Amino acid sequence: MVEINEGEILRQKSLDFLWMQNRDWVEMAEGGDPLIIENGNGIRVTDSNGKSWIDVNGGYTSVNVGYGRQEIVDAAHDQMEKLPYFPQGSTTIPTINLAKKLSEITPGNLTRTFPVSGGSEANETALKIARAFHSRRGENGRYKVISRKGSYHGTTGGVLWTGSNPATPRSDFEPPYPGMLYAPQPNPYRCEYGGTTSSECAILCANAVEQLIIENDPNTIAAFIAEPIATPLGCPVPGEEYWPMIRNICDKYGIVLIADEVICGFGRTGKMFASEHWNLEPDIMSVAKGIISSYLPLAATIVSENIASQFAGDGNQLRHVFTSSGHPVTAAASLKNIEIIEKENLVQNAATTGDYFKSRLIELKDKHEIIGDVRGIGLLLSMELVSNRDTKEGFAKELKLADRLNHKFRSEGLIFRASGHILNFGPPICITPSEVDEIVDSVDRIIKSLSREIGIGSS
Amino acid sequence: MVNTNHTSDDISDLKSSALSHLWMHNRDWVKTGEDGGPDIMVEGSGIYVTDIQGKTWIDVNGGYNSVNAGYGRKKIADRSADQMRRLQYFPQGTTTAPLIQLSEKIASISPGDLQRTWPVSGGSEANETAIKIARSYHKRTGDTGRYKIISRVGSYHGATGGVMWLGGTGAIRSDYEPAISGMVYAPQPNPYRCQFGSDSAEECAIKCAQAIEDLILLHGPETIAALIAEPVSASSIAAVPGDPYWPMIRGICDKYGVLLIADEVITGFGRTGKMFATEHWDIVPDLMTVAKGITSSYLPLAATVCTTGVSEVFAGEQNTFKQALTFGGHPVCAEAALANIEIIEQEKLVENSANVGKYLLKKLNGLKEIHPLIGDCRGLGLLSGVELVKDQKTKESFTPESGLADKLSKAFRQNGLILFSTEKGFTVGPPLCIIEKEVDEIVAKIDASLSEVETQIKIV
Repeated sequence: MVEINEGEILRQKSLDFLWMQNRDWVEMAEGGDPLIIENGNGIRVTDSNGKSWIDVNGGYTSVNVGYGRQEIVDAAHDQMEKLPYFPQGSTTIPTINLAKKLSEITPGNLTRTFPVSGGSEANETALKIARAFHSRRGENGRYKVISRKGSYHGTTGGVLWTGSNPATPRSDFEPPYPGMLYAPQPNPYRCEYGGTTSSECAILCANAVEQLIIENDPNTIAAFIAEPIATPLGCPVPGEEYWPMIRNICDKYGIVLIADEVICGFGRTGKMFASEHWNLEPDIMSVAKGIISSYLPLAATIVSENIASQFAGDGNQLRHVFTSSGHPVTAAASLKNIEIIEKENLVQNAATTGDYFKSRLIELKDKHEIIGDVRGIGLLLSMELVSNRDTKEGFAKELKLADRLNHKFRSEGLIFRASGHILNFGPPICITPSEVDEIVDSVDRIIKSLSREIGIGSS
Repeated sequence: MVNTNHTSDDISDLKSSALSHLWMHNRDWVKTGEDGGPDIMVEGSGIYVTDIQGKTWIDVNGGYNSVNAGYGRKKIADRSADQMRRLQYFPQGTTTAPLIQLSEKIASISPGDLQRTWPVSGGSEANETAIKIARSYHKRTGDTGRYKIISRVGSYHGATGGVMWLGGTGAIRSDYEPAISGMVYAPQPNPYRCQFGSDSAEECAIKCAQAIEDLILLHGPETIAALIAEPVSASSIAAVPGDPYWPMIRGICDKYGVLLIADEVITGFGRTGKMFATEHWDIVPDLMTVAKGITSSYLPLAATVCTTGVSEVFAGEQNTFKQALTFGGHPVCAEAALANIEIIEQEKLVENSANVGKYLLKKLNGLKEIHPLIGDCRGLGLLSGVELVKDQKTKESFTPESGLADKLSKAFRQNGLILFSTEKGFTVGPPLCIIEKEVDEIVAKIDASLSEVETQIKIV
């Protein structure tokens, strides 16, 4: 009883003092929120009332090795006892070893790492390097950045204006950043150009990028930034043609290709990096989340030698500094995290258990009319709900579909959030087939009950 | 010499890996290689760090003016590890106990009614968040034309896409053009070089504050969202504004409905001899950003702290502020911050910063008497600045081509100091646990370094 009161006092304080992400304290107070999470193990976490939950989100699709890895704690603790920090004018052993490790496991000649503390910083750094790269070569006119509708690259002042998501309008933060161009998302289920196969959609969307470049003058374009597979609108996997075509187009017009592997990297899609599915070698790759399974804040911008070499030589250095860049404690934790991913073959597990997970979701699609599409690779999977499979129509706002779903997830003990009519599955990649069954069985019940409530067929 | 158990082969392998694979700050790998490779730090205690070759250095910079509690605090390491053993991470749709406790703690030590904390991972993110909150605040209150941000020449607020266009420190931004729209630049109230030619700190303060009012009127108050400023600007070599400045700025912002953002990234958590530097002038900003000293850099953490007046317009379902960062509100970083703030309070490091800071400034002013290179010494608490000049009378500065920065850096290095300088000067921002004897050691070494450089460039 005493403990419950303590939890209640804490909860009250959080409503008074904490500004939480995408939620407001009035609504939370009404719903008895927030939950206070106290510990975790594998794919499960426990709240302050002792209730256990399955974290289907895997943090923010970020806790790749799962909760409770004491080896990572020990590595971070040891380093913090020796040297808790030192800025990147000098450096430290774990930071060097991490930079070396990243150059070994990343595709192509991505060999040089600028370490930062989050995905937004990593993408900002990538954009700054891309712009500075052109200006160092005397191509000062190249400043525009192409990103894709339905992509997400972060929240800070520059990257905030790349990608787009109808669910999170940016009008609060206007005026927008100059030089932003938007290309279509190669989503085979809803191809903007009416492509009827994923190949056709891929080709049309890649051609649209070339068209955009030509219309805007290639000599004004600095970079193209994209996730190999974009999560916000439900992990559409582009047709096979897309990435090789994009690589060629970027080469043809001298445009820096930035692969945002913040979510896809470190095994999430069944390869160490998702670019590998298409043998893509980006010029710059940004990583975060899985690099450290979120145990501490860390991200990185990894750059090909060709780009980096423009910044070599006295007077050519990039002028860009973050206090926590190259933090030795986060680097030590990251090295241990990568070691676990490799030792336990978690990339392979993401591929095989991901296949199994996807096959089980496809079974649900056969049972429930409301499931329009199941897609994704590895353990980055998604389910798109529709009110009509033929027209692929969505749902009336008054139906409050996401609220209904989130309420049901909660009563099934799942930490899982619908974003509109889309469910993104991104659990820890150490998940086992029997844990997949547990999640899918819950989702089955939830979809069934939702279908009944809103009068859509299911068996 | 400390035995660090690294053979010379290990060391040369590490240096070669660093040169091949690591992109360090403001240095390039070719020049660093020619200079013998980067220093690799392995241990730290108090104000001292030891490199892989066993050499001990005094960290006069205190990291990036950020290691407030000093190196080697087992308590922060243990508390962080304890939290990490229990729960390594959880995103901010739910929350965790250390984060709640930290937000309560920040509310209790921050000035006025700064009481709601948006946690992030670094100063740039904190300032970006402040600007986004300021712009959307005006949208929520129906003042939709307000988007411009006033910052000051010589200030620094971060490296990400928005905040990199605030302030301006002479470091080249042209690589990243075009700039974002709505940037308005005001003068820096630097009494040593008052843009308006004033001859007292007070007069300079008044003129610089009036200049801000003029800018607001020129642009139209209905277009201005916020003014962002450091209470004492480290990037202007710790220029301390005259006393009238901050109360006037607070009054002007109130008069025109402009939100006042105090960037306490460097000045917060005791650096200037108060917990937060705005306390020197008894003003309460509408938003305050903090980073660095909040964890003494032991882990990446920062925060945007808002007054109730600002945050209340975002309450209620339709008013939510839309922003998410994976690592925002990290429970392990929050626990490290709690342990760090406990150390600052228990060991009275804020008071120590005030007292030892005064002693430091006095000693630096002593150097000014004997070194023609020094034009001005200034600062508050343990944020001191030394401005360098060619001529004390004309206050003429050295150009980058003079190579002074390089010569000084070499001299500081040879004297065992980690101390970064440009040709315009340097700041002294050591850990706040520093004692007078250690100040004597630093000042003696700065003294020797300056003499060496003065001999080299033949100024005596």
